[in-house]
Amino acid sequence: MQSQDFHKLLEQRRTFFCYSGLLSEDVLSTFSGIVREQMSEMEDDTEITKRVFGIFVEQAQNVIRYSKDRIAAGGTGTVAISRAEDGFLIEAINPMDQEHAEGLQQNLKELKAMDSKELRKAYKQRLREGPPEGSKGAGLGFIEMARKADHFEFDFVGSAELLFVFKVWIKEP
Amino acid sequence: MQLEATNRTPSVSISATGIEMKGECYPEDITAFAEPVMEALRQQLESAENFHVRIELYYFNSSSAKFLFDFFEELEEAAEHGKQVQIDWCYRADDSSMQEAGEDFEEDFDNAQYQLVEI
Repeated sequence: MQSQDFHKLLEQRRTFFCYSGLLSEDVLSTFSGIVREQMSEMEDDTEITKRVFGIFVEQAQNVIRYSKDRIAAGGTGTVAISRAEDGFLIEAINPMDQEHAEGLQQNLKELKAMDSKELRKAYKQRLREGPPEGSKGAGLGFIEMARKADHFEFDFVGSAELLFVFKVWIKEP
Repeated sequence: MQLEATNRTPSVSISATGIEMKGECYPEDITAFAEPVMEALRQQLESAENFHVRIELYYFNSSSAKFLFDFFEELEEAAEHGKQVQIDWCYRADDSSMQEAGEDFEEDFDNAQYQLVEI
């Protein structure tokens, strides 16, 4: 692909923020201001802006903590925010171990089947019980995203190098 | 204890009579932020009779939700042991995510006085 085609591709899919490479907490700190600025320029509804920003932070921290490709301060992956037909799309892609993927897939299937009441219950239960084994945070990130999202999709792609793809849509009212 | 707000952490002020926390909470390292705050809270609660907590957050991430839960649990325990604990969860009138977050914590209190305050 030509460099200009890459640029055009991002424009075509209306991706206004995209970062690929090493994600660390330092990088996230730097991008937080930029993402907020871009969002507030585009969107007057502060509630939408906050939800998009919240999803972006959870997505970025998942890459930092759980990407299979590790560098001392974080992990590698891609995070992107795009304009969607009726709102915004926040995406994250990172390499993942097969072993880790199986548990996560099950977990996400369960979250996808829950309504908002059940998600709230799962959230409170996780708060009370504390993080599950292997979690580097509170184990709440996906539940939180599922609660904030209007819609989410996930995929595990490839075999030699397995990529985890997580997509969250926030709709404008 | 007095912590200045940063881009990713709220200002925290802890005295013998209460706590005020204000700002955004998505620290780079939640443990490094939470441990000294929890430690200071426990110390003050030991000798306090009346304790007033004012939380005014605009955003917190999921790792910080766990910190807030533990923080509130400490306060509820103190109230269970007979201390007067009042907690005000303050949210801006147009901030429904922080209002909902405040409501999420509401059911965890039986002894401490917990109220949602629109500002």
